[in-house]
Amino acid sequence: MGKSRKKIQIIILLLIVVLGGYAIVSQVSGSGGKPTEGSKAPNFDLLGLDGKAHKLDEYKGKAMVLNFWGTWCGPCVKEMPALQAQWEKWKDQDVVVVGINAGEDKMAVENFVNSVNVNFPILLDPNKDAIAKYGISPLPTTLFVSKDGKINKIHLGQLDLATLDKQIAELVKS
Amino acid sequence: MLQEVIAFKNTKCECGHQNPVGTVLCEACGRPLEEEDRESTEVLEMRYDGMARRSQRVNPNFIDRIWNFFSSVKIAVYMIILTLIGSMLGSIFPQESTFLNVDPSTYYKDTYGTWGLVYYKLGLTHTYESWWFILLLVMIGASLIICSLDRVLPLYKALTKQRILKHMQFLTRQRVVYQGPVGGTVEDWMKQVSAPIKKKGYRVYTDGNALLAEKYRFSRWGPYVIHIGLIIFLLAVLARGLPGLKMDQHIPFPEGEIKHIPDTSFYLKNEKFTVEYYTQEEMPEEFRNKGKTLPKLFNTQATLYQCTADCDDPTKEPKLEEVTKHNIQVNDPLDYKGLMAYQFDYDMTPILRAVSPSLVDVKTGQDFGKFKLDIRNPQRNYTVGDYSLELKEKYNDFGLDENGKPVTKTPNPNAPAFLFLIKGPDLPAAGVQYIYFPKEIDKERFQQDAINTKLNGGSAPLMLDVKGMENVDFSLSTSYLNIRVDKVMPFIWIGASIVMLGLVLGFYWQHRRIWLRIDDGMLTLGAHTNKNWFGIRREISAILKKMNLDVDEKSMDNGGKNA
Repeated sequence: MGKSRKKIQIIILLLIVVLGGYAIVSQVSGSGGKPTEGSKAPNFDLLGLDGKAHKLDEYKGKAMVLNFWGTWCGPCVKEMPALQAQWEKWKDQDVVVVGINAGEDKMAVENFVNSVNVNFPILLDPNKDAIAKYGISPLPTTLFVSKDGKINKIHLGQLDLATLDKQIAELVKS
Repeated sequence: MLQEVIAFKNTKCECGHQNPVGTVLCEACGRPLEEEDRESTEVLEMRYDGMARRSQRVNPNFIDRIWNFFSSVKIAVYMIILTLIGSMLGSIFPQESTFLNVDPSTYYKDTYGTWGLVYYKLGLTHTYESWWFILLLVMIGASLIICSLDRVLPLYKALTKQRILKHMQFLTRQRVVYQGPVGGTVEDWMKQVSAPIKKKGYRVYTDGNALLAEKYRFSRWGPYVIHIGLIIFLLAVLARGLPGLKMDQHIPFPEGEIKHIPDTSFYLKNEKFTVEYYTQEEMPEEFRNKGKTLPKLFNTQATLYQCTADCDDPTKEPKLEEVTKHNIQVNDPLDYKGLMAYQFDYDMTPILRAVSPSLVDVKTGQDFGKFKLDIRNPQRNYTVGDYSLELKEKYNDFGLDENGKPVTKTPNPNAPAFLFLIKGPDLPAAGVQYIYFPKEIDKERFQQDAINTKLNGGSAPLMLDVKGMENVDFSLSTSYLNIRVDKVMPFIWIGASIVMLGLVLGFYWQHRRIWLRIDDGMLTLGAHTNKNWFGIRREISAILKKMNLDVDEKSMDNGGKNA
């Protein structure tokens, strides 16, 4: 009686702890669902301007600058040259700059990219799936994702060259 | 209890039965085990038939302590009170989840002032998803399980192996007691008394000079059935947070477009949206002739598609299969395997989808033919007669930036504009640039002709002209649907039904037991029920009448709690 009862007691308590813990974690992290600094970057699967599908996984092992932008947003347009410059500077050191366009069509984006001369990967998010997953509200928003896929920093608004450089340097070190 | 443990009290009864620690009444004969209890003449404490509860241990270790914490009814009551207070706090201001597009960090302060800000800062704007609230629910669940196990197992054991002959003290200290002389042999009397008892629906067990009659034992399981139902209910509530079990989103569906429902493999097409308004005559006095329009009926003819292949591949178009059609109206949602689409709102602003302008010679008015221009996803090149048109630029919401350069102000097609390079006969080799605003209002606002004159250093020889409304494709309206999946609801209902069943079991039946023993021509009767003592006294009085014993119901009352 004593031994088996103790086992059953422990099993029941463990089950409660596991189920309860899971319930709490899933509710608290599941509500709002907005990734924060320190959490894992959500996956995406988007069509790039190169006509291929791109997932988050393919950038695994690289530090990543994830920039959400739109052609109609002034600050986004203004920070494009800075992003391009940093892309050129860091790309040999396992850093990738990825631009995700918020909901515009291929043509508008293509025309724009050609006119501002940027050549880092640009992905299209016509249905704003990634925008929703990442909980992006103001544009531009830039996320710095470390090599292990964790969000190191979220920057809202326009970036300048110096800030960008500092952030990427930190990211590479982390 | 604790003193006993320290004193290593012998829990062996004089009948020879070894009782576990914490037992109040001997498991076998029912004799009180405590010295002082034996000297008292008070009515016995019959809870769980005097069995030791599981949580009453000799040396509680760490695990036992946790177990004992959760098996306490007092703790459970506190937790329920805390949960109630938490629920109340959560209902002071509306929760964040009740809004569609609100920035909570400013909304609460702007709407409710300082209190609103405090409320938001305390995290009460998402009370029901907060860690402490869920933790309370989990703890109540744990308490339900452990309390039940702690009590139901000893009770089950006590009720399944009852000894028929009980200790004298056990009988005389029940709340219903009768003692009196009886004639005839013990055996005959027992046989005789069995018949009326059985008639009342009791099961009768005899053992020499003792008899036990029992009925409606199942009523004792009522509370535990309630607990099982509550546990299912709680699990269902907690499971809502799991992915795929619950979804609740509001999506605009422009007329005539197939739109993907996020996080599902479903696509929905709003085939046609109609809205019918109340006429002035149908309106109540206070609304009449105030220029108010009240919708009477909105109806979305919806078709639901399911994706069968290439669903998540952004490079390919998904293959869709129609699964169902439904006219969605208020309170009449589309329902497909638990996916519900409710009519929620509508917007009657037309959205331009495509135009088919004709290429026309400005001087002669000659029409070279028309082409279809898709506003959202236009082609790059068109051929009209001998002319080729290359789409150079496209602006969804045309505007000029501070340097006078054309830009798009928003990603929404509010003021679409297209810049073409037209080449063909009688045109310069480099071609003619031509900006085109499909919407007449934009043409005038932005002075299309003036821009074109500027672009080419002279008025353009050709123009694009939509000849009639048949060449314009509008999405006339947008229907907002509330898409919901709730796979948890059935379990909530199952849990609630089990709770109801438990309540009925416990409320409408009472567990009744009667013990009899005859010693030297003297009958001793004790009876116990978990409620409705009046009923059992009445039954016993009727039974004894059949045995020619006229016993007043009231006289059997042995006192005890508010009897």
